[in-house]
Amino acid sequence: MNKRLVGMVVAGCVVVPSLVTAQTDPLEIMNRVDRLLRGDSSRGVATMEVVTENWEREMTMELWSLGTDYSLVRLRAPRKEAGTATLMADDDIWNYLPKVDRTIKIPSSMMGGAWMGSHFTNDDLVKESQLIDDYEVELVFDGDRDGVTVWEFRLTPKPDAAVVWGHIEYQVQQDNYMPLWTRFYDEDGDLSRTMTYSDFSELGGRLVPAVMEMQPVDKPGERTAITYQELEFDVDIDQSFFSLRNLQRQR
Amino acid sequence: MLESPWLRIGWRNLGRNRKRTTLTALGLAIGFAANVLLVGWVEGLQAEMVESATSLVNGQIEIHDAEFRPDRSMFDTIGGRAGVDVDALLRAVDADTAVVAAAPRVYAGGLVSSGEATSAGMFMGIDPARELVLTRFLDQLVEGRLPVSGQNELVVGEEMARQLSAAVDDELVVVASGADGSMANDLYRLVGIFRSGLTELDATFAVMPIGDLQALMVLPPSRIHEIAVATTDPWIAETTALRLRDTLPGVEPAIEVVSWDVLNPAMVDYVALADSMHFIIIFIVFGIALFGVANATLMATYERRREFAVMLALGATPRSIWSTVLSEALAVALVSLVIGAGLIFPVMVWFHNAPPDMSWLLDSDVTLMGALLSPSLRVEYNPSFWLTCAVALIVTAVIAALYPAFRAGRTPPADTLSGL
Repeated sequence: MNKRLVGMVVAGCVVVPSLVTAQTDPLEIMNRVDRLLRGDSSRGVATMEVVTENWEREMTMELWSLGTDYSLVRLRAPRKEAGTATLMADDDIWNYLPKVDRTIKIPSSMMGGAWMGSHFTNDDLVKESQLIDDYEVELVFDGDRDGVTVWEFRLTPKPDAAVVWGHIEYQVQQDNYMPLWTRFYDEDGDLSRTMTYSDFSELGGRLVPAVMEMQPVDKPGERTAITYQELEFDVDIDQSFFSLRNLQRQR
Repeated sequence: MLESPWLRIGWRNLGRNRKRTTLTALGLAIGFAANVLLVGWVEGLQAEMVESATSLVNGQIEIHDAEFRPDRSMFDTIGGRAGVDVDALLRAVDADTAVVAAAPRVYAGGLVSSGEATSAGMFMGIDPARELVLTRFLDQLVEGRLPVSGQNELVVGEEMARQLSAAVDDELVVVASGADGSMANDLYRLVGIFRSGLTELDATFAVMPIGDLQALMVLPPSRIHEIAVATTDPWIAETTALRLRDTLPGVEPAIEVVSWDVLNPAMVDYVALADSMHFIIIFIVFGIALFGVANATLMATYERRREFAVMLALGATPRSIWSTVLSEALAVALVSLVIGAGLIFPVMVWFHNAPPDMSWLLDSDVTLMGALLSPSLRVEYNPSFWLTCAVALIVTAVIAALYPAFRAGRTPPADTLSGL
């Protein structure tokens, strides 16, 4: 009994400080947020609503991911474009176009282009999972904002990172590790676009932000919102799922 | 000129040392000829540059929606969302007497893919019949033919074909943003390859009939991005643009009619800069000639010290001696001018009308400020510059003779005649 108590106290002495360290280590927090949202692998169904000055449209898509390097997105609706799919593997993106039954690889010069007409770029899709690889993370705020206890991080590009942003700000709610917003600044330090996370709900057994909305600053009124309807984690898929052959499979 | 005795003496003196006179006159004549040729050639290059930049792909005037530039958004079509009666607008443009050709265009950015290779491309929708009159880049295809409307055919630049490893008759996948937000895509057959000589253009442009591109982009036929216009002379483009602005039928939202000098201000600046160099060229060429002529005149007056001493002893004034020397310089200048003009004007006429091709000197095309230049010795006429050169030649000869004339006027008669 005594041994057990001693053991618990010793363990507590070791564990408690490490927990405290873990909670304030920006990299650890960012990693944890990322793991929460992604899992080792995942499958989901989401709708993407894109509103621009000139048109509005809604797409339904099925998404799969494996680790940080592989993901596959296939449109289910609208019917005209159903089957259109995007495969991301490492830093490369391929699009499958069912109308012409061809797959094209996005050239590096077009990585800044819009993905499926949304306010996300192709680059966002492959770089989003690499924030902590490409940026130095610094905790710049730890406290209450509008009654919610949050951390705020400032992500500054590492010297050799090939990224487009001058810096990124990231706010995370402390009690549930939910991201609240990400603000992207250009090289002049001007806010370029904001991603907000909302509707925290339990999907696939985890609390996740079911809605992610991207708003460009220079086009007020325009936005792209992704709403998850289904999400499951640690699904049984491996690397072979993320192949060009599977990309072309129209389902 | 020969009324004054002193001037007559000056004129006759030209024959006293013919070799020296000939050499002096040749120095000035070649200076004059070099100036005229050099500036003529620079102006030939400028003219070629402007003509190339305004006829290769771009017109001399462009008509767009007022919001189209500089973002070139696919939604900023002429007449906004409602579009415009394209035929009526073209008829109105064609009606202007200065307009040689006008052609409607639609643009879109996207991807072109062949096999495993994909390139970023700029799609240009054209009316082939009108475009051939307006621009030159499709005149002679390297291979194949122009696309036919409604057949899903296109032509691409030579560099793009190389990057895609695509040949005529190959199938290309085209992806662009549809005006409805969709990912517009379709298969096309490569029916021709063009070479404009401008690498950027040859690497990025894919050209198809305007209706085909509108269909791909989900744009109705009434929505176009541009009407490109060619005028009879690039230098009247600005006034023609102003006139078209007033005469074209009203379109809502507003359209803009801009001439090449607004679209390519760098080229206008370049031409102005090159023009300002003319006087520097005159200064350098005649500056060199000045010292040669001064030297020869000084020697000539030194040899004739005894003659000037006799003249002064007989009652001539120093001023009349100056007149003699200066009029001799003037006479040399006039002879030089005749020789120079005789040398250069036949060459100018030849180089202006049938410029020798110098492409054998160069391996590749010469591009300058987005214009393709043919390496030739084309020259342009500039009579006012010739006149300036002639005046500069005379002034040079007279300035060169000032010091020798002054020295001659101060020859001491007694000392000189006594051999001191």
